Amino acid sequence: MATGWFARLWQPATDRPMTCHQVGAVLQRYLDGEIDAVTATRIAAHLDVCRDCGMEAETYERIKSTLATRRTELPADAVARLRDFATSLSTGSA
Amino acid sequence: MSDQRTSDAAFEQYVLPELEVMLRVARSLTRNAADAEDLVQDTLVRAYRAIDRFDGQYPRAWLLTIMRNTHINSARRRRPELLRDPDNAPEQAAEERTDDVIEQQIDGRILETLDGLDEPFRTIIELVDIDGLSYAEAADVLDVPVGTVMSRLHRARRRIRDQLVEAGFGGGRT
Repeated sequence: MATGWFARLWQPATDRPMTCHQVGAVLQRYLDGEIDAVTATRIAAHLDVCRDCGMEAETYERIKSTLATRRTELPADAVARLRDFATSLSTGSA
Repeated sequence: MSDQRTSDAAFEQYVLPELEVMLRVARSLTRNAADAEDLVQDTLVRAYRAIDRFDGQYPRAWLLTIMRNTHINSARRRRPELLRDPDNAPEQAAEERTDDVIEQQIDGRILETLDGLDEPFRTIIELVDIDGLSYAEAADVLDVPVGTVMSRLHRARRRIRDQLVEAGFGGGRT
């Protein structure tokens, strides 16, 4: 049974720990939930043990959460007007 | 007349649930409440006329594509808007850097940087981070490949992140 670095060579790529470079390349997709579950788990494992990548991810999460505060409630009257308009199209009264 | 009824039912089934997303995206595209409403109305009319040819797959993507084309056509007829909202000026922080003040400063710097981003970068942030579109949906709106959405988003967020680090907030790789 091989051990050490030789054993790691034979590990499937998806079992190997990700490097900082690999994580950096897909970090945005991870934060946006646009990545497959297996890779997401590997990224999360890396972020748990890598201080620099963890801080980087935290900074971007903070940016995303602040940007989300710009998401305001839509004006109810505008939504209602558009709903009436759309309904009138399908009932033939527009 | 049953064909008409089928079309109307399809329109109500596929289009009405997407009204709010359409209005959000329209507001990001036009940056103007009245123009956004006009854009959604024009999109609805086109969607209604085309509903017979819609296969029922991915109604949001279909509607956003119609909206993009409608927006491009109306933009051709209109001069570009040069006005920018002057609101959200960052508040002056108190001398004492309490946690709350620091949090406010971080928020202010992030939003200030967003407002100063060049056009394609600001729009991609608005579509994904504010309007909540997926990469594929944003790609439909902008008529660009998903890879372009990702690279613009990455560059835009990187710009904001660099501003934060420059101001002494945030961290990570240098």
